[in-house]
Amino acid sequence: MDELSIEVKNVHLSYRILKKYSIKKIYKSFKKENIKNKEVLKGISFSVKKGEIVGIVGNNGCGKSTLLRTIAGIISPDIGEVDLKGNTISLLALGVGFNEELTGYENIFLSGMLLGMTKKEINEKIDKIIEFSELNEYIEKPVRTYSSGMRSKLAFSITAILETDIILIDEVLSVGDIKFKEKSYNKMKELILDKSKTVLIVSHDIEVLKEICDRVIWIDDGNIKKIGNVNEILEEYKNSNR
Amino acid sequence: MIKIKIFIENIKKYLGYSIYSAKSELKAEVANSYLNWIWWILEPICMMLIYIFIVEIVFKSKEPNFPVFVFIGITVWNYFNKMITSSVKLIKNKKTIITKIYLPKYILVLENSFIYGFKAMVSFALILILMLIFKINFTIYLLYFISIFALLYIMTFGLCCIIMHFGTYIEDLNNVCNIGLKFLFYFSGIFYNIETKIKYPFNKYLLTINPISFIINEFRNIFMFSKTPNIFVMLVWFIIGIVFSIIGIKLIHKYEKNYIKVV
Repeated sequence: MDELSIEVKNVHLSYRILKKYSIKKIYKSFKKENIKNKEVLKGISFSVKKGEIVGIVGNNGCGKSTLLRTIAGIISPDIGEVDLKGNTISLLALGVGFNEELTGYENIFLSGMLLGMTKKEINEKIDKIIEFSELNEYIEKPVRTYSSGMRSKLAFSITAILETDIILIDEVLSVGDIKFKEKSYNKMKELILDKSKTVLIVSHDIEVLKEICDRVIWIDDGNIKKIGNVNEILEEYKNSNR
Repeated sequence: MIKIKIFIENIKKYLGYSIYSAKSELKAEVANSYLNWIWWILEPICMMLIYIFIVEIVFKSKEPNFPVFVFIGITVWNYFNKMITSSVKLIKNKKTIITKIYLPKYILVLENSFIYGFKAMVSFALILILMLIFKINFTIYLLYFISIFALLYIMTFGLCCIIMHFGTYIEDLNNVCNIGLKFLFYFSGIFYNIETKIKYPFNKYLLTINPISFIINEFRNIFMFSKTPNIFVMLVWFIIGIVFSIIGIKLIHKYEKNYIKVV
């Protein structure tokens, strides 16, 4: 039997639409106005084997990103559980914790440490990160002076060196200009295709998913609509959106 | 006990980040100002001058070595006030980080404590300089500084964790805190001497039941009046501070992964 890497069991999750409490809101709740929860995940269960690459598709607002956040342990489900079988996990998020006033160089440390790396680990990899980012002398300039392309290049270069057993990717397969897009996509593929890693990937790019995924999960309105064969499901999903 | 063990492990894990992030925050804060870090010195000095003007000139009140006296009050108050005020909306303000990665939320309080703790230390260094100017003797009692600051730190940390937790859910807590802090400000003897200006026995009560006035008074005792702090009251407040911290940490552990659902 193949070793499981992720097990998601009957996960339900709601966001509070009428967010926090305040006198006005408590008053409204007495009058039973407008108070409702939006159930984003409505009992999702599936499991992923070690080394498997699973794509997740679905329309905007169907709960894909929330599902990834739940698996990453950023948010806890109201009901159900996520079992990672002791594996380390990271959700690839670009530019988390960037401080606009600091230089690119300093932000590599800031963001890297926030993502769980030690200063020593970053020191060992910093040359690689800077080289990959192609920022050259701009690395010593404050991030607020960067264009959005430069920012994503730096952000991508930091995230791409993370080493966890499970990688969750939310729409960040490639960034930057055409040349960097290809380079970052290749780097991502190298990361994803490493057989020791389990990957869950949310993307709207059907062709990319067809190329790299072993299985696909189609989520519709907080439920799993279909799970399994890549080509069949993706074609059906594509047709349903026409 | 398991939660406390996890807490200690998390502190070890994220200490490097907290320090680096606090440094970055301090650097970014002054990056574009003309006077740069001089503001950390200038701000408390200006506040001190305002109080000297109000108390000595407007109210014609006399207190020996008043600039040092009031500077100690301002230093403690600034640390406490800024820590509490920033904690109420801390989760909301850090939304961009906490929706993308998992970070134990008390690390955010820890990071703030480094930022404001650093500013407090600059302020305390200025007190030493003022003591030289006003020819106040440096005595062995200054060694109590660490224990009194530890008390202020642990009290504030615990309270901030609790306030951060409830502030995430209750919007009105911000207003309540503002009023509460204003009230506490006037009852903490920052710019007046509680012992001489408030009648006995109320002054004694106030100096015991208000931790901020107690801490300010003890700092003044060791800096200015060569007196031993009241160890018993210190110990009681320290235990209360620990209890606050444990409650805060437990609340955060239990609910932190639900914060995103409401911010």
